[in-house]
Amino acid sequence: MRTKLLVGALVTVVVGAAVVVAAILVLRAGAINQPLLTAQVRGTAQTSQGVLPHAFLNLDTWPDSMAGPHGPSGGPHPGWVTYGPSMNLSVPAHSLVTITVHQYDSGEALLNPFFAKVRGTVGDRATLNGKPYSEINYQHTAHTFTARGIPSATQPSLFINVPLPPTADDAPAVVKVNGTMYPKPNVIVFSFVTGDPGRYVFNCEFPCGIGYQGFAGPMSTLGYMAGTLQVAG
Amino acid sequence: MADPPDTVEKDASASRIHVRRAVLLWVVITVLGIVFALFVPSRVFPFQASSDATRITATFIAFTVLGAAVAAVVWAVAAYTLWAFRSGSGGPPESDGPSVRRHIRAEAAWITVSSILTLVAIVWGLAALSSVSSAASSDALIVNVTGQQWVWSYSYPDEHVNSPDLVLPVGREVVFRVTSKDVVHSFWIPSFGIKVDANPAEVTQTRTTPTVPGLYEVRCAELCGLYHSYMESQVKVLTRSGFEAWVKANGGKVEP
Repeated sequence: MRTKLLVGALVTVVVGAAVVVAAILVLRAGAINQPLLTAQVRGTAQTSQGVLPHAFLNLDTWPDSMAGPHGPSGGPHPGWVTYGPSMNLSVPAHSLVTITVHQYDSGEALLNPFFAKVRGTVGDRATLNGKPYSEINYQHTAHTFTARGIPSATQPSLFINVPLPPTADDAPAVVKVNGTMYPKPNVIVFSFVTGDPGRYVFNCEFPCGIGYQGFAGPMSTLGYMAGTLQVAG
Repeated sequence: MADPPDTVEKDASASRIHVRRAVLLWVVITVLGIVFALFVPSRVFPFQASSDATRITATFIAFTVLGAAVAAVVWAVAAYTLWAFRSGSGGPPESDGPSVRRHIRAEAAWITVSSILTLVAIVWGLAALSSVSSAASSDALIVNVTGQQWVWSYSYPDEHVNSPDLVLPVGREVVFRVTSKDVVHSFWIPSFGIKVDANPAEVTQTRTTPTVPGLYEVRCAELCGLYHSYMESQVKVLTRSGFEAWVKANGGKVEP
């Protein structure tokens, strides 16, 4: 009887530990398995908050996963749209951060015209191929770079939204990346000033995924159109 | 064969003692419940920054006070009975005691108190329903609230302002017209005591009057996808002049 009790207790502990380990492994598998992409500080810049370090970061938006961070075979979902080269971003605190996006995808209408306006950047503006803009046609949008986080006592509020204009539907594929041809990208540049350190998220607000309202698949999977933005101290 | 007179008197005296003790226990538990109602909810609830939040807290306290007396009757009788009539070492009695029948005063008191408490709940509820369903004041500020995975956005149609931030004037009624662009969300401001579903292709409505300037949380209260936990922002309650300055700073216009 005593032996049965001990065996039962032991089995319970082992099974419980296995469940905990399995849960950890599942959660880790769901996290973004991509390298940290850190903005590089190159000099300083004059801002409304004085002279601040100036950091730069390059991103891409691809119409599939063949050229992004998911490997030359496109990973488990080669047809999914994706940001690249990583969805783990790190930018310095109390700095001017300039992000350059090479946008290779075509577009359609946003669900919400609200996201067709540039918000939260310096001057609420961005540039498209060198020309400044503050708003685009919401019926003709490729993606958005939309970052925000939970405002709290330990990190300031942050909201950045930059609509990314699309390439033309009939644009010729002239750029070869990882063996796949893409059209000449739109180059979008925008800057924002960071505050105290904090952990934020960013994603696309254009329904470029699959399923209901286009918000499933790459829109609901970390590492494609959703990632993290760390403001590091 | 009838019990001798001295046995009947002893039983009556013992019964009165039991009733007095149970009543005393009822009073003690009631007082504890009232103290709980008066001091705990206001500390546990979110900070009350609107007329609705204040009303909700007042309602909770009032009903807890009333409920404390009722709950205490049950707890006092149950606790005292378990203690006073425990079987002890002699084991349980062979039969139940005599049942109580046709105790007019007890029945009248029970029915009267129950009726009064029910009436209070009905009148209170109807009054609250009336205040919720009545028309908003003509001075009310209209705010269109749009939920989308995973951001709230706001527009002020009369002021011609669109904003990712919710900014409100203190002391002025606000009507929230809430909708969603994709899945079901829930627009929740805990400190205002308001929560309403944001449904695609539908407009739901709620209203309140901010009463205390400050910064409060806005949350989504409906699991809505990958970044549901990040669908959180802030509402800033400003003075009227501060709100007007914010509207102008965002390119809007203020009605004279």
